[in-house]
Amino acid sequence: MPYRIEVLAHSDDGRAKTLEQSLKAKGHDARVRVVDVYVSENERISSETFIGAVANPVTQQVNAPLKDFNWALEIGFLPGVTDNIAHTAQELLDLAGATNDNECFSARLYLIKGDLKKSDIEDLAASLANPLIQRIQIKDEETFQKDGGMGIVLPKVALSNHGAVADPVDLNLDDAALAQLGKEGIPDSDGTRRGPLGLSLLYLKAIQDYFRSEGRAPTDIEIETLAQTWSEHCKHTIFASPIDDIQEGIYRHYIKRATQEIRKNRKESDFCVSVFSDNAGGIVFDENWLITDKVETHNSPSALDPFGGAITGIVGVNRDCMGFGKGAKPVINRYGFCFADPRTEQTYFRDKDRKIPVLSAETIMNGVVHGVHVGGNCSGIPTPQGFAYFDPRFIGKPLVFVGTIGLIPRTINGTPGHEKRALPGDIIVMAGGRVGRDGIHGATFSSVALDEGSPATAVQIGDPITQKKMSDALVKEVRDFGWYNAITDNGAGGLSSSVGEMAGQSGGFHLELDKVPLKYPGMAPWEIWISESQERMTLAVPPENVEKLIEFLARRGVEATAIGTYTGTGRAVVSWRGETIMDLDMEFLHDGVPETPLKTTFTAGGEAEPSLPALSTDALLSMLSRLNICSKEFIATQYDHNVQGSAVLGPLQGPGRVYADATITKPVLNSPKGVVLSQGLFPRYSDIDTKHMAACGLDMAVRSAVAAGADFNHLALLDNFCWCSSDEPERLGQLKRAAEVIYDLAVLYGTPFISGKDSMFNDFKGFDAGGQPVKISAPPTLLVSSIGVIPDVEQSISLAPKAVGDLVYLLGETKDELGGGEYYDELGHLGRNVPQVDGAVNYQLYKIYSRAARERLMASAIAVGYGGLGVALAKTAIAGRMGLDIDLSAFDLEAQRLLFSESAGRILVTVAPQNVKDFEKTFKKFAHVYKIGHVAYGNGLNIKDLLTAEISMLEKAYKAPLRDY
Amino acid sequence: MTAKALILAGYGLNCEEETLHAFEYAGLQGTIRHINDLIENPQELEKVEILAVPGGFSYGDDTGSGNAFAQKMKLSLWEPLLRFIARDTLTIGICNGCQILANLALIPGFDSRYGERLVAVTHNLTARYQCRWVDVGVTSNSPWLAGIERMHIPVAHGEGRFMMAEETLKSLKENGQVAMRYIKADGRPANGEFPFNPNGSTQDIAALTDQGGRVLALMPHPERGMFNWQRDDYQELKDKAQRARTSLPETADGMALFQNAARYFGTALKKRA
Repeated sequence: MPYRIEVLAHSDDGRAKTLEQSLKAKGHDARVRVVDVYVSENERISSETFIGAVANPVTQQVNAPLKDFNWALEIGFLPGVTDNIAHTAQELLDLAGATNDNECFSARLYLIKGDLKKSDIEDLAASLANPLIQRIQIKDEETFQKDGGMGIVLPKVALSNHGAVADPVDLNLDDAALAQLGKEGIPDSDGTRRGPLGLSLLYLKAIQDYFRSEGRAPTDIEIETLAQTWSEHCKHTIFASPIDDIQEGIYRHYIKRATQEIRKNRKESDFCVSVFSDNAGGIVFDENWLITDKVETHNSPSALDPFGGAITGIVGVNRDCMGFGKGAKPVINRYGFCFADPRTEQTYFRDKDRKIPVLSAETIMNGVVHGVHVGGNCSGIPTPQGFAYFDPRFIGKPLVFVGTIGLIPRTINGTPGHEKRALPGDIIVMAGGRVGRDGIHGATFSSVALDEGSPATAVQIGDPITQKKMSDALVKEVRDFGWYNAITDNGAGGLSSSVGEMAGQSGGFHLELDKVPLKYPGMAPWEIWISESQERMTLAVPPENVEKLIEFLARRGVEATAIGTYTGTGRAVVSWRGETIMDLDMEFLHDGVPETPLKTTFTAGGEAEPSLPALSTDALLSMLSRLNICSKEFIATQYDHNVQGSAVLGPLQGPGRVYADATITKPVLNSPKGVVLSQGLFPRYSDIDTKHMAACGLDMAVRSAVAAGADFNHLALLDNFCWCSSDEPERLGQLKRAAEVIYDLAVLYGTPFISGKDSMFNDFKGFDAGGQPVKISAPPTLLVSSIGVIPDVEQSISLAPKAVGDLVYLLGETKDELGGGEYYDELGHLGRNVPQVDGAVNYQLYKIYSRAARERLMASAIAVGYGGLGVALAKTAIAGRMGLDIDLSAFDLEAQRLLFSESAGRILVTVAPQNVKDFEKTFKKFAHVYKIGHVAYGNGLNIKDLLTAEISMLEKAYKAPLRDY
Repeated sequence: MTAKALILAGYGLNCEEETLHAFEYAGLQGTIRHINDLIENPQELEKVEILAVPGGFSYGDDTGSGNAFAQKMKLSLWEPLLRFIARDTLTIGICNGCQILANLALIPGFDSRYGERLVAVTHNLTARYQCRWVDVGVTSNSPWLAGIERMHIPVAHGEGRFMMAEETLKSLKENGQVAMRYIKADGRPANGEFPFNPNGSTQDIAALTDQGGRVLALMPHPERGMFNWQRDDYQELKDKAQRARTSLPETADGMALFQNAARYFGTALKKRA
C-alpha cells in the first residue's frame, strides 16, 4: 500500500514568499504555501523517525488538513529521472529500520490562494517545471477536497525488455541503409530505432570490413561501443583529422606542438607535469603539490534541461579532477556561460508543428546558473571565477563551460602522484552510483546538432551528495592507502569509455556486465555498457585489495562492485550471464577509426567602419548597462566562493563590489602561494575574423591573470573550442585560423596549453513561429582559460583603487579597434577594425609588469576588456567608490574611439605616490606607459573635456540590468 | 596535555579540513572523524574535549538542512553525546553544523532538556543562497566567545533563518543564549534589513548557545575568517599596511573562537613561525 507524507511549511516560508513576488510581478496577488511530499510503498515512511527527519515541528506540520487555497499545483519527477531528495529519503527509511527496499519518491506541492485562472497556474507550472523530466498536476480546491488530495503517484520505471540479450546487427546493407543506421540507430524488432549512433558512412564501412574479416555479424553492443569510442566527443576526430596540407591535424600541429616547444624552450623551468594524457592537465604548484585543471562544455544537455545539464556538467568535471593521476582533490570550480538576453521573447520551436517550444532564454539562464550553484555548493568546492556572455545567437543552444582545479601531492607512497597504470590481472571495480538509462547516447548526441529528434534520455541530473561521499572516500582516504593502480571517471560513453581507456594501458579487458549494479531491472546489456549514469569512478585494483577496498567504501556509504578483469590479451571482451557478447580487437577499437581528410576555405567578414555620434555621459552609462559589461553579482553571491577557507581575491572586488575577471585562491592553507584563474573569450570578433577572436581571448586570459599578480613565468592555458557547423569548409577554415594564431601567441608568451576540450556542432535546428525551418549557429567561440601561480598572495592586486592621490596609468597602446566590439554593437554596427594582438609588445609588458607585481608597485589593476578604457575607468571608480580625475588629451584618437576601443594588451593601474619612482623606473623600457590622471577626492569620474559622471550613476547603470535575477 | 578536538565528516559535510586547520593553528590537537567511524566507536567521544560539527551540505540539504544528519546522530549517538555534553566539554556547530545542532536540539537545551526541538533554521527569506561577508555583534558568556564584542565574518547558506515560538525567544533572551546578532557596519542592529541580515533571521539572530554556553551553534563561518588574507577587504587592509610600512597581522576575527577554546582548556597559544 502506498503512503504519502506531506510536510507543510510555515506561512512565511522564503520559497513561498519568492513565488508570491514573482506572481506579483505578473500582476497576480496570491498567497502561496509550500508542501514537501514523500511517497513510498514502504510502511516505515510513516514512522516517527522518518517523519522527524523530514520535518521540524517548530515550523512544519505533517499530514495536516490542507485547506484555504484555490489551486493545488504538484510537480514531481518522471520515472527514471534522478530524484536527489528521494535518494536522501531512501537513506532515512533505512535509518528508520526499513526491511524492504521499496522505493521512495519526492514531489513538491504548491497551494495557491488568489484570483487566478487555470491558465495562470499553467504558466506558473511552466516556469517551475521542465516537462522533459517532470510531471505537472493541477487541481482546483473543490476537486482536491473531493478527491481527498492530490492522490499518490509512484513514478516507477517499468522496462519491457527484461532479460534482453545482445542482438546481432545485420551489416550487409547498402550505403543508404548504412547511413540510416548511423543517423537513426539500430532497428529494434518492431522497426523503431534506438537513437543516433553518430557514425558516418565512412566509419560504418570500416566497421563492415572489420566484421567481414572476423567472419561474423556484430552484436548491438559492439556497434554501440564503436559508436561511443569513435564519437567526435571522445575521439575529437575533427581536431585529429588531416586538414588541408596539415597531415597531423589541428590538435597535434598547433595545440600539442605549442606545448612541446614551450616545454623544450623552458628547459629546467618547465612546470608542466602531465599534459594532454589524462583527464586533466597538471602543473607544478610548489615543491610538494601539483595543481590540475580541466574545463568541459555541457551545451546540448543544458539546452534541453538547463538545471540538469549544468549540474551534470559541473559534477562531471569534478570527476575529471578526481580521475587525474591517482586522484586529485577538487579545490576550485570555475564557470562560463554564453546565453541569449534573458529579456528576449522565445519564438522558436523544436518541431515543425510548433508543439515543442524551445525553452526561454530566461529559463535557460536561471536553470544553468542554478545547476552550477547546486553542484558546486553541495560538493564543498569554491566557485569564485567565471563569466556570463550574451549574444542573440545563443537563443537555441547556450554554451556552458565548467571547470575544476585539483590539488594532488607530487609523490604518493613513494611514486609520482600523477602516474597510474592498470595492469593485467587487476580487477575492474566500479564505485559510486548505480547504472540506469540516464544519458544513453550522450556522447554521440553531443556530436550532432540539436534538432527535433534529440533524445530525452540524453538528459540527466547530477547527484552531488552521492559523488561527494565517493570523492571524500577515494581522494581523501583510499588513494593514500595505495589500494588501486589506476582510476578514471565515467563520463561520456560510461563504462565503455572508462574501461576501454584504462584497458589501453593493460592491453585488454574482460567485463562481466551482469555484475554491474542497476537502478532498476530490465536494462539491455548494451544500455548498461554505454549508460552515462553519473557519480561513478572506475578503478583498477590488484586482486588482493579488492575485498578491503569494497568493504572500506561500504563504511563510507559508497557502493563498489567488482565487475571484471583487466587483461593483456589484446581483446575487449564483454560477457553477459556467462555468454560472450562482445569480443573486439583492442587496436581496432582504439585506432581503427578511419581518417577523414578535411578541406577548408576562409573569407574574412566585417562591414564598413561606421561614423560615430558625439560622445556623451549617457553613452558611457548605456555601455555599463550592456549585458556583457554589467555586474553578474547575482551569480557570484549564490556560488559559495569561500568554502575550504581558501579565498584570497574573490569575484566581487572593492567596496563597490565590481565583478572581476580574475580570482586568487590559496588551496594549501599554510603555503603563501596562490592559484590565479582567469578566462577570455570574444565570440563576436569571429564575425570579422576568427584569428583575432582567438588571439584576443588568449591575450585576455593571460593579461587579466598577470594583472592580478600571477607570475607570467608560471602560467598555463586551457583551450575550449565551441564551434558550429564543423562539416562546412568555411567553418573549418575559421577553425584553422584560430588554432594557427593561438599556437603563435602561446609560444611567444611561453604559456603552454595543458588541457582542452572541443564541442564542434553548436547549431540549433528548429522552426520559427511560422513553422519555417531555421538554423541558428553559435558564433565560433574559443574560450581560453588561464591558471597561474602567484608566489605570495600578499602580492595580489585587486581592481579597486585604494587611496586618494594615487596616480592612474594606462599601460599598452590604444588603437582604432572597435570592430566587433561592444560600442559598435550598441550602435547596431559590426565594423571592420577588430582588435589585433601585438604579441611581442605584450610579452614585454607582461614580463615587466610581473616583476613590478613582485615588488608590489601597483595598488590596483584591471585588464582593459569589453567596452575598452571608458568601461575600465568606470569599473575602477565604482569598485573603489573613489573619484577619478582623468586627462586623455595627449591621445591622438577621436574621443569615442579612445574610450571604447577594445585594443588588446592594456592594463589600467593605480600607483601610490611613494611607489611612483620605482614604478616608472621599472617600466622605463616599455614604450606605452601613459600617466592619465589620479584618484581624486569627490564622487565623480571626470574625463577632462569629455565627460563627467557621478559614481552613484555609474554604479546604478552597472548593477541594475541583472540585479533581480 | 593538549586538549583534543574531534571534527565530524561524511555525508556531505565539507568544511572539516579548514576547521581542523583552525583548531591546530590555535594550538589544539584535532582529528577528522567520519560519522560512521564514530558510530562504530562512540567511546572516542570520551577521549576528546571538543566536538565540532563543521559546515557543509549533509544529505544535500534534502528534507531540510541538517535534519537528516541530525536524525542519524540522534539514532546512533544520542547517549554518548549527552554524556559528552555533561562533561566539561565544548561543542560547536558551524553553518550546516548549526542546523544539525538545532535539529538535534542540543540548542536551546533549556534546563538541560536536550532533545526538545524548539528552534528551526529555515530557508532564507530571499529563498536564495547567500555567500557574503557580514558583521555580527556578540553578547554571550559562552567560553567560545569570551572577550569578543563583534566580528567581521562570512556567511554562506541557503537556510540560515532562525525561527522559534515567542516564548522560546523570550527564554533565549532571558537566559543570554542569543550569542550573535547581525549588525550594520556602524554597529546598529541590522533590523532584518538585507544584506546586513542576510537571511531574514528572527531578531537578527546569527548564533545561539545552550543554556550553559558550552554548546555554540552559529551560522557564520569563523574558519573562513580566521586569517586576514581570507577577508573580503584584505586588499584594502594590506595596502594600508604597506603604505604605513607595517605588516598585517596574520589572524583575523574568526581565529578568536578557536583560541578561546584553547584557552578554556589551558593550552598555551602556539606561535607559528
